[in-house]
Amino acid sequence: MQRQRADAQPAFVLHTTPFRETSLIVEAFTRDFGRIALLARGARRPRSAIRGLLMAFQPLELGWAGKGEVLTLMKAEWQGGQPLLTGQALFCGYYLNELLLHLLPREDAHERLFERYREILARLGADPTGKVREADLRCFEKALLQELGYGLTLDHDNAGRAITATAHYHYRMEQGPVLLSHAGEAEGAVLGRTLLDLGAEDFSEPRTLAEAKQLMRSLMAYYLSGKELETRKIFKELQEL
Amino acid sequence: MSTPTSLEALIEALRCLPGVGPKSAQRMAYHLLQHDRSGAARLGEAVGRALQALQHCQRCNNFAESEICERCASPRRDPTVLCVVESPVDMNMMEQTHAFQGLYYVLMGRISPLDGCGPRELGLERLLARAQDGVVKEVVLATNFTNEGEATAHYITALLKPSGVSVTRIARGVPVGGELEYVDSGTLAQALRERRVCQT
Repeated sequence: MQRQRADAQPAFVLHTTPFRETSLIVEAFTRDFGRIALLARGARRPRSAIRGLLMAFQPLELGWAGKGEVLTLMKAEWQGGQPLLTGQALFCGYYLNELLLHLLPREDAHERLFERYREILARLGADPTGKVREADLRCFEKALLQELGYGLTLDHDNAGRAITATAHYHYRMEQGPVLLSHAGEAEGAVLGRTLLDLGAEDFSEPRTLAEAKQLMRSLMAYYLSGKELETRKIFKELQEL
Repeated sequence: MSTPTSLEALIEALRCLPGVGPKSAQRMAYHLLQHDRSGAARLGEAVGRALQALQHCQRCNNFAESEICERCASPRRDPTVLCVVESPVDMNMMEQTHAFQGLYYVLMGRISPLDGCGPRELGLERLLARAQDGVVKEVVLATNFTNEGEATAHYITALLKPSGVSVTRIARGVPVGGELEYVDSGTLAQALRERRVCQT
């Protein structure tokens, strides 16, 4: 197995789990190496220099070395510029991280997705009310599927005909939109307009936003193969309060 | 000769302590049996007694020997202010400040979505009931300034809002006696964002 070494690599922490008495296993999303697992030795010691630094949603620069599945973290530097997430935005951040942890395979570089992730976190952090921008979540989900090679077909149906804004479609997994004769023909039918808007990332139409949410939810459920997202459960409980 | 079963069981049992691996567990077991048999008896008794006697205080959720702990029953504490902390250790730290005279509620955890710990696992409905006893006027959220602590604070705020009690969050920033030169950038950045108007 090849020995790896990286220095000053832009990264975000996705999740950390305690390891032994004073260490942490860090799941990180890095720009050039994708998702990797790092062992942060002594990171939980009271006076550790990196204690409190390995926090999710904060831009970091990481350096590591080693070989095998878990590499050793050598250096972590705080990059700043990103306010801490608060309120609902924080739960959205967790949602993004949970998707990445479940769907992104380890050590597969996804530079564009990384940039997307960074942009969305910046927008989530910039709003002090912590309100969620549903549109951002939809764009991220779409980008994630695209990067994983499950890109959506949004401009033509399964028969190769261009999407008509006023027609109704049923999005069939791995096949794309299927034209329906009327909306009630299949559960979760969406308007052609929704597909076109999703393609253009234009969420100014409320109906687009609502239908895109349903569509993305069913797609995510399909690719997560039945795994239930913890963040969604909590988010639902939060909204029921 | 193989290790006797009861010795093996003791070594295995000691491994449940944090930071104790097979080697230290073995050392501890031999020490207890060879050099400190009375200590071993005391340890065994103390663990058994604690397990039997300790329960969660019905009011603050901390460990207590009676249904309501001494602190919650004390007439000297201010029952209108309730401070929410993540763990008993956090509560001890708050007590050391001598700056808080109110009562506590110990969550015994935090909301951590990616570890599968949500509001239900934390039993937040008990906190809601506690805060709505009619006496509590202010709930001070003293959860950690980590993402999980913030998520917990946000959830509790949303949970308590309809009940009409005022919910406050402890401030964060540069530590007392802290020189900017030595403060970490994250703390300083946040202190700058949460700066406040000076009053004369």
